[in-house]
Amino acid sequence: MPYYIGDVIKDANKLTARTPEKFREGGIEVMQNNRVERVDTDAQEVLLEDGAKIPYDILALGTGTTAMRAGIPGEDMDGVFVLKHLGDALNIKRYLKDNKCQKAIVVGAGFIGMEVCEAFATLGMETSVVHRGQYPANRWDPELSGFILEEIRKNQVTFHTNMQIIAIEKGPQHPLRLHTNQGPLDGDLILLALGVKPDVALAKGMGLAIGQSGAVAVNYSQQTSIPNIYAAGDCCEAYHRVSRRWVNIPLGDIANKQGRVAGSVIGGKPMIFPGIVGAQSFRIFHLEAAATGINEKEALGVGYCPVSDITWGNATAASMPGPKKLGLKLIADRVTGRLLGAQAVGEKGAVGRINTLSAALWTGMRLDEIGYLDLAYAPPFSGSWDIIHIAAQKLLRKM
Amino acid sequence: MGKKLVIIGAGAGGGSIAAEAKRQDPELTISIIEAGPHVATAA
Repeated sequence: MPYYIGDVIKDANKLTARTPEKFREGGIEVMQNNRVERVDTDAQEVLLEDGAKIPYDILALGTGTTAMRAGIPGEDMDGVFVLKHLGDALNIKRYLKDNKCQKAIVVGAGFIGMEVCEAFATLGMETSVVHRGQYPANRWDPELSGFILEEIRKNQVTFHTNMQIIAIEKGPQHPLRLHTNQGPLDGDLILLALGVKPDVALAKGMGLAIGQSGAVAVNYSQQTSIPNIYAAGDCCEAYHRVSRRWVNIPLGDIANKQGRVAGSVIGGKPMIFPGIVGAQSFRIFHLEAAATGINEKEALGVGYCPVSDITWGNATAASMPGPKKLGLKLIADRVTGRLLGAQAVGEKGAVGRINTLSAALWTGMRLDEIGYLDLAYAPPFSGSWDIIHIAAQKLLRKM
Repeated sequence: MGKKLVIIGAGAGGGSIAAEAKRQDPELTISIIEAGPHVATAA
């Protein structure tokens, strides 16, 4: 959706994987604009807000997440948006078209905040990001997110650090004024990108077990604590193969896989969702950022003995022209020698490295194995020692 | 008649459940209930 707002994807229809008509052709009834009031699990009925009762033999939840609100006065004003549903993207696009927007303010510096600030800046708006912390994208270490911050500033986006938002009201020249602990900021549009939380209101009402992550607890077949009720996607947990804990990582690729597993089980073909390793990426202007696995703090929390190191190198052979700066952090377990996690930020090649390392995490590879992995070498794509080899061997020496 | 599957939410999770369940068992009667106007959207 950020790429639709930024005019990279021109056609909103391209954001829909399957239209209601397509579902109906396939014999699946779609009831849009219908809110569920509650579910009676004894009578096996879904009660809609309009009073209708829908009986079921099997129920499945794909309730997703809700966008966090700031809880400040004025956040419901015209021109203040969140980006959660396609409807939000369409509304933002329409607002941009109907109003001569020159100044945009993005509150929050997670990956959605980053993608949207790129979109706004690309559209030619004077864009600022308001962040309560010091560095953007807190999943990445400061040394790597510092590289992201440099890129943001290089692209004329103002990045405000340690800034708390207080209230939104009408502005003197621009429609909106955002009051902060560091004074007011004026803008035509404010996007609140404060993160999401799993939408478990219905699940709680039904008495379904909720996991420690705050999302619906499921087993490997996507069944909830009531056997004929399934859940998939952002509203439920997934097994993390590295931390060996059930976690909630709301990403569309995980939702697709869990949904397909749940559908298969429901349709009579047993299947197991094998879990996740926490792979994630985003782009910010000309940089790729990607991460997988767990960080040192998470590793300590689940009983590993983490050791880590950051390697700065190149995405291509050093002799090749063009942007190639790449930073790679590896985290490994001192006891077993196994990789636990990785973070990469670079002008090129960060996502490819993290995908490779995700496969290594998946199979539980050790650093000594990763240090001699057979990778696809050619000068435009890596040095004859890839940064993965260099980083793995370097960290091995620290063990 | 096959069993009745009701899915709450037509995002990536709900949409995938419906499509795969129907593929595996064409006899299933499936309804998706969606609070908003849009279905199966990409993030």
